[in-house]
Amino acid sequence: MSKITIPIGPQHPSLKEPGCFTITLEGEKVVNAVVGVGYNHRGLEKACEARTYIQDLYIIERVCGICSHTHSTAFCQAVEELAGVEIPRRAAYIRVIMAELERMHSHLLWLGVAAHEIGFDTLFMYSWRDREKVLDILAELGGNRVNYGINTLGGVRRDLEPQMADEIRAMLDIVEEQNKYYIQLALSETTLAARLSGIGKLSHEDALRLGAVGPVSRASNVDTDIRVIDKYAAYDEVPVTAITDDHCDVFGRAVVRVLEIMESIKMIRWSLDNLPDGELTAKMPRRIPEGEVFSRTEAPRGEDTHYVRANGTDKPDRVRVRAASEANWHSVKHMLEGDYLADVPIIIAAIDPCYSCTDRSIVLRSAAGERVWDWAALRRYGIEHYKKQGFDASKIKIAERKIIR
Amino acid sequence: MQAEQKVVDMILERFPVLDGYVHLQRRQRVIMDPLVRRDFEKVFAFLTTEGGFNTFHLVIGVDDGENLGFIYAISNDDNVILLVKQKAPKAKPVIKSVCSRFPNALWHERELVDLFGAQVEELPPGPSYPLPDGWPEGNYPLRKEWKVEYFDRNTMTYNPPAPEAAQKEDEQ
Repeated sequence: MSKITIPIGPQHPSLKEPGCFTITLEGEKVVNAVVGVGYNHRGLEKACEARTYIQDLYIIERVCGICSHTHSTAFCQAVEELAGVEIPRRAAYIRVIMAELERMHSHLLWLGVAAHEIGFDTLFMYSWRDREKVLDILAELGGNRVNYGINTLGGVRRDLEPQMADEIRAMLDIVEEQNKYYIQLALSETTLAARLSGIGKLSHEDALRLGAVGPVSRASNVDTDIRVIDKYAAYDEVPVTAITDDHCDVFGRAVVRVLEIMESIKMIRWSLDNLPDGELTAKMPRRIPEGEVFSRTEAPRGEDTHYVRANGTDKPDRVRVRAASEANWHSVKHMLEGDYLADVPIIIAAIDPCYSCTDRSIVLRSAAGERVWDWAALRRYGIEHYKKQGFDASKIKIAERKIIR
Repeated sequence: MQAEQKVVDMILERFPVLDGYVHLQRRQRVIMDPLVRRDFEKVFAFLTTEGGFNTFHLVIGVDDGENLGFIYAISNDDNVILLVKQKAPKAKPVIKSVCSRFPNALWHERELVDLFGAQVEELPPGPSYPLPDGWPEGNYPLRKEWKVEYFDRNTMTYNPPAPEAAQKEDEQ
């Protein structure tokens, strides 16, 4: 059979971010794949060298919209270590709570994207609806749905009031119930299992050889979780269980992520119940002593590493960021080869590559800067807008879904 | 004995000449001073085979003035991160690829080529990363002497001031 090579991307309807996958097919089967990225390179590392550490924090938080907190945590703890500063325990706990909320919203986002890629749009809508509840809490805590700006050098910028803790607990109860349904779905729904099982295979040995990280590696039974093996923030006290699975395929990656949401819920509850009193920040020097630090965190997508080298001034000499997705792309070529063309989108989506969802807003200001629309007003505006187009969403009756307890 | 101290002892037992080059930074972190290429290759080969450092995280390029530095972050089963470094003269920054041992080093090494102008021998062929097509040759943006303000992104040209003007600028 003759071979044909087709480029998918960098602009493609099923892949929302620019990446170019040059796929060589023999019939329907992928026999070779070349992954091309780099379209989003923004020169952040160079920009960091020309700015102060505190200015860099704003840049670093924007490396990724979805896992902004994990990047700022990795950067902050690197600079804090260089300065020899230990952050207050309350701040460390708040960093953990934010990190686990971030993991929840990231995994729910992934679940929706993955469901959409396989044509299961009902699950896509359910999981994104639930993700909104987590985002509402994050927005209340930090003022933004993403880029929460909680971290600062030496601690955190915002406290967690008891009333807010109760709101988080209430949200966790709801999302936990929903997530139980997703777990049941993942483990018992035969169509879902049939669609995801056996595709995007990555054996335990290959995961190690190709340096896979996070849920991708843990779904290949690699028991590596930075929260467990290189404890940071308050993870030395907060009980963490690394979730692993031995399916070594896309199905396994789905199972790991939905189970990790449950673990995050447990960790947040524990952290709220044991949140220590005390200060939010420790005093940081403006000039950071000479030295170098290799810092890492467990982002929702896996190991996030930051290298910071200081030269004794208020600006770093070198900042190097390696996000989790960068580590996981290496495995994609291996996962694609031998599978069918129709499986390409879900296999790529299964590593949870960074999709930018930052251009959303909970508050809309007019050009004059006076009028402010909240979420409810925006929703009303949307309904009215579509009514004028002849589509009345309020007339659609949606059966209430039974929550599995 | 702590895992990180074991690493230091193992390196010094095999390479006594490296006494003073290996530093225990803190728990789970060991840092080495930069080595020249020949020594680095021997030490790296030992560490990643007999030494048990079987996980490659990334390679970090740094500009040290006369030299370029290349910092390899690797770890072992005890989760000790070791930063092992090599240096090469900026005028001829030739290093050898580690892709045959660690396939996931590929993009990191391509970055060294694009952003630092490193010449990586035995680097597998493929597209460059991460600079765009049409990037002017000989421009390595992460070298300290490369200034972003002299780069015109519309014409994709680098236009530094003439040496006399640059000197005046520095004096001001």
